[in-house]
Amino acid sequence: MDADSSTTDPAQLALPADYIPPGHFVLQPHEDDGEEGLNDHEDSNGSKDNLREQDIYLPIANVARIMKNAIPPTGKIAKDAKECVQECVSEFISFITSEASERCHQEKRKTINGEDILFAMSTLGFDMYVEPLKLHLQKFREAMKGEKGIAAVSEGIGEELTDDSFSELASACAAFFSQLGVGNLPLPVHCFNRTFLL
Amino acid sequence: MSGSKEEEKVPGRSTSLPMSRVKLIMKSSPDVSHINQDALFLTTKATELFVQHLAQYSFRKGCGGESNALGYSDLAKAAEESEPFHFLTDILPKKILARDYLRSLEERSEDSD
Repeated sequence: MDADSSTTDPAQLALPADYIPPGHFVLQPHEDDGEEGLNDHEDSNGSKDNLREQDIYLPIANVARIMKNAIPPTGKIAKDAKECVQECVSEFISFITSEASERCHQEKRKTINGEDILFAMSTLGFDMYVEPLKLHLQKFREAMKGEKGIAAVSEGIGEELTDDSFSELASACAAFFSQLGVGNLPLPVHCFNRTFLL
Repeated sequence: MSGSKEEEKVPGRSTSLPMSRVKLIMKSSPDVSHINQDALFLTTKATELFVQHLAQYSFRKGCGGESNALGYSDLAKAAEESEPFHFLTDILPKKILARDYLRSLEERSEDSD
């Protein structure tokens, strides 16, 4: 029964019926990262190392959607306004981050925490955001508590796998399972932004 | 946030903007080493609020006219007029028509003759 160490017979491996043989995996591309590059601009070279601080933007579709929902339904948004807000957003993030980072350094800490961010908001004139943010944070923490024990991650808390390391991981898993005769297999593994069934 | 597909999965911990990208932007600031989960979530959520805030304010203040469209000039105006948005004035310079600029150049050179 175990003569062939690379069996893919589902019955032998005690796998569910929809087992996909090693070498095949189901990728669920992350919804919001459907954009090609980081900038959604034609001239993006896609290489993170070459991007300057001012070149990193949030996806314009997401930004535009939030803008659209903030104005009356009959209102329109010019294309240059969308691109402009995209840039303002990166500016905002950097603005808050530097302020928070400074406070961190002053207190000789290395990790920026929630308090630093909220304090930065207050200092920089966005104190009206603080209370709603605290509520959101509460919900976030409760939701995260519920997820304990599962290896699932939402959009990129923690490192994203690069294509290379993902392939390596998939190959390693495939190799591992091909050596099994019978045995227990893990439940589907949610791996950062991708899900694959083994 | 409305319109986000993530809402269907897990309400409470989802965001309309990708946290991974927000993290990238944060890390591009000098001297930033580590950012904890709360900080990343708060920054992402705050950014959503910021977009809403900026869009709403600019639209309301700007669209007195018939256009009913939010444009660049509305944003530039908001940056100038509303204090929290002052930090944007450098990246949102008010645009002027080329001919007005050329005219002002001419006037300046005439003055110096």
